[in-house]
Amino acid sequence: MCVCVRACVRACVRVCVCASDIISTVEFNSTGELLATGDKGGRVVVFQREQESKNQPHRRGEYNVYSTFQSHEPEFDYLKSLEIEEKINKIRWLPQQNAAYFLLSTNDKTVKLWKISERDKRPEGYNLKDEEGRIRDPTTITALRVPVLRPMDLMVEATPRRIFSNAHTYHINSISVNSDYETYMSTDDLRINLWNLEITNRSFNIVDIKPANMEELTEVITAAEFHPNQCNTFVYSSSKGSIKLCDMRESALCDNHSKLFEEPEDPSNRSFFSEIISSISDVKFSHSGRYLMTRDYLAVKVWDVNMENKPLETYQVHDYLRSKLCSLYENDCIFDKFECVWNGTDSVLMTGSYNNFFRMFDRNTKRDVTLEASRENSKPRAILKPRKVCVGGKRRKDEISVDSLDFSKKILHTAWHPSENIIAVAATNNLYIFQDKVN
Amino acid sequence: MEFKVEAHRIMSISLGKIYNSRVQRGGIKLHKNLLVSLVLRSARQVYLSDFYSGACLNAQSEREGKEWDLIDSEREKFPPATEECNQTEETRQNDQPPINETVEKADDEEVKPDAEHCTPTPEEQSQNSSSDLADRVSSESSVPDAIKQNQESPTDSTNATLGESRQPQKTHVCTTRKRGAEESERDDAPQKRTKVNVTSSNASDDEESEEMDTGNVSNLITIFGSSFSGLLSKDGAKPEAEAQDSDSGSGQICCDQMLKNLNPWSTAIVAF
Repeated sequence: MCVCVRACVRACVRVCVCASDIISTVEFNSTGELLATGDKGGRVVVFQREQESKNQPHRRGEYNVYSTFQSHEPEFDYLKSLEIEEKINKIRWLPQQNAAYFLLSTNDKTVKLWKISERDKRPEGYNLKDEEGRIRDPTTITALRVPVLRPMDLMVEATPRRIFSNAHTYHINSISVNSDYETYMSTDDLRINLWNLEITNRSFNIVDIKPANMEELTEVITAAEFHPNQCNTFVYSSSKGSIKLCDMRESALCDNHSKLFEEPEDPSNRSFFSEIISSISDVKFSHSGRYLMTRDYLAVKVWDVNMENKPLETYQVHDYLRSKLCSLYENDCIFDKFECVWNGTDSVLMTGSYNNFFRMFDRNTKRDVTLEASRENSKPRAILKPRKVCVGGKRRKDEISVDSLDFSKKILHTAWHPSENIIAVAATNNLYIFQDKVN
Repeated sequence: MEFKVEAHRIMSISLGKIYNSRVQRGGIKLHKNLLVSLVLRSARQVYLSDFYSGACLNAQSEREGKEWDLIDSEREKFPPATEECNQTEETRQNDQPPINETVEKADDEEVKPDAEHCTPTPEEQSQNSSSDLADRVSSESSVPDAIKQNQESPTDSTNATLGESRQPQKTHVCTTRKRGAEESERDDAPQKRTKVNVTSSNASDDEESEEMDTGNVSNLITIFGSSFSGLLSKDGAKPEAEAQDSDSGSGQICCDQMLKNLNPWSTAIVAF
């Protein structure tokens, strides 16, 4: 893994953090050409990578805003007297099949399929309308002509093509597109539903862990994902720290798992907050489908799909927080849901932390690095300097002590380009894009 | 003892979170509330086990005599904030038969009114401790004053309902922080009431408890400002739950009874 990461900063410059601008999800499409972000205000911003040009080689591959649209609006459930937040919880791209791009975006209750298409030609020469679009007086029309398509400034428009609603009682936390490109699943706290991308008025429930008596509830589903290659296989993680792999060929309702990945808890680490920190916040298949990565509050674990009793590898993200769990509980930070991502070759893992730090772990060399996404440290084309948190004893010059970490600056959402070493890091309301150093 | 203080603090924080989750935008987050309730349960277990390893083993008569001694020693140890709640519990527990003690204790911690085997005024006590807890979490809550006022008004009305003999068993030491008017009126009561409680039999408890239920329910409504229709509704609700599972192995009668009391009201706290 190349530790030198060059900053290619695309940040929204704002003086104060507007709550609705907080980025809530980041996702590259399958080619890496597009990068989508969703925010708390229900907006989606799509960036597109510039084509390489010989004229400006140093501007290779910068991401510019391609499209912005309002995906979800706040709604009100009158029956339950509940407001439904417009915050975008997840975005997932569909593989590209024609000139248009499709993505799924979801808030707590509704999934929407958006089509993003370009328009660079416009028909001109209508008979019944004039150039401004006003209807012409038919009596003034003396000749017929065929409208022709003329070039125009590129316009990118986003239209909602499908709206999948009213299928979830609880809050949707994940969506995942199946490798068959026909179906996808949406997951809330207690149920997983399978949809056909074409059909919005029907979905199939494939997992239901709601107990008959809600008082017996002990765990909720926290994330779910389809296998990247096997269209019948998916996994879901729970708040108890277990991951269940299910095969849809076994039965229509996959309440009985095929595999259960669980590591016994270390009794020496038991505390009031053991259950909270063992809750899995994200689960991701590797690109190969051979491995699973899970993120709980303090660590990232890599599992072999063929070995259920313990993870293959465990990486501590910020173990120095273990002694601070009570304060983190008080200020709600202990409930933060960090995501984790694989790089394109499944050799490097990345996840976020506090103080705008994010961490990368190289599975082969077992080296790890801590980097910071901040305006001061990220001048364009500057090289990011590795950071270090001092956990005790004498603090060296460049180190930061645990007590001076800023817990309001958290990196929950990151994304890695599917084939290149380009990463997108969301720090509150700013998006940072970093690339590997180019000689 | 430090565990007890810590456990109590965590319990009060957890309750504050559960309360705040109700007013959060986007509705109740099931996952977060589940985790908070797990923490609450763990803290309560530690708190109770800590207590049981201590005073529970003393005979009741001994306890009565040592009541004030205990209180004084507690007061020396702890800062005023914790002191009040601890003393409230100590006093109550010392005065009541074990069954009722645990019931009150649990109720106190969870801001839940006692259902079946309650002592004369568990609900006022729980309100008082709720006030304590509410005050303690007022730094986190956005409506500390509203909570307090909600707590105080039902207390007053319930006092009227239940009459003089049901004056809350607040000790004379719990006067400082909060409820000025309330406390002064209770200052005279505790001595008398202590005797009354000790002699009350279990048989009368059921009657009292039924009256308690009404009072408790109306208090819940006032405290949480909910319309009462969905008290036991499950959708969107977060279960309190595994209290059953956790304590089933304890083998103590008082624990089982405490749990039975918890169940109807456990959904109340989360059913919004």
